[in-house]
Amino acid sequence: MSADVFLFWFLAILTLAGGLTTVLVTNPIYSALSLAFTMIGVSALFVSLNAYFLAGVQLIVYAGAVTVLFVMVLMMFDLKHELITFTRGKISGLVKAGLVALFAGLIVGSVLITSDVFSKSGGAPEAVIGGDTTKALGTILFSKYIFGFEALGVLLLIVAIGAVALARSKGGTHAK
Amino acid sequence: MQNSELIGEIGLTHYLILSALLFVAGMAGVLLRRNAIVILMSVELMLNAVNLSFVAFSHYLGQMDGQVMVFFVMTIAAAEVSVGLAILVSIFKRYKEINVRFFEHLKG
Repeated sequence: MSADVFLFWFLAILTLAGGLTTVLVTNPIYSALSLAFTMIGVSALFVSLNAYFLAGVQLIVYAGAVTVLFVMVLMMFDLKHELITFTRGKISGLVKAGLVALFAGLIVGSVLITSDVFSKSGGAPEAVIGGDTTKALGTILFSKYIFGFEALGVLLLIVAIGAVALARSKGGTHAK
Repeated sequence: MQNSELIGEIGLTHYLILSALLFVAGMAGVLLRRNAIVILMSVELMLNAVNLSFVAFSHYLGQMDGQVMVFFVMTIAAAEVSVGLAILVSIFKRYKEINVRFFEHLKG
């Protein structure tokens, strides 16, 4: 078993365990912790796919900023006691879990059925990007996708204003 | 024979299945949890799973467009978290609780 194969399985198990713990653990702080682990695992998977810039952004934005934001808000709320962690009602819960399992089987099955399509058409070994992709990403981001990039800037400005306005309001849709 | 090939050789399929399982874990969190913050975390998990499949396609098909999409998704996810947490803070100020059963009617 070569190194990158071992790395993939290690990271896959780490990431999946982190994701499942995020969903299943009852204490929200532990959820945030395992969410951070999942983000770090996904970032390492990006490195194994030669997307170095995105791996760095993932570490800074998700594992850094978003997790800190979650933990900060959790600390503000002081949630010592959580009355009902999961949905009430055994039947509706079972229906939801069954739907989730059905969806999982659907996606995995369709991926497995169509797996030979990609290996035949575009996935020739010479098409695999090797080495650093940061320069190519920057080039395409500032040429082909420049309009989307500028629109994102406007969106971030609106979001900053909106978050401040929301946090200042008294709560509810008809705040006084 | 099939099994040893499945374990010993990593391809696009492996990344896609991992991404699907992560997405489904996030979806289970959104459906089953009652804490609004944990629901937001599960949404983040789903977005990360989609990012992973974008990057895997970008790598194995040799095109950069997928990575640009991931860049956009990351920015929008950060914006979504900040707005969602601001909404939760204002809900908490009013109800002193963030379990979704307290504001499931969305009435002021």
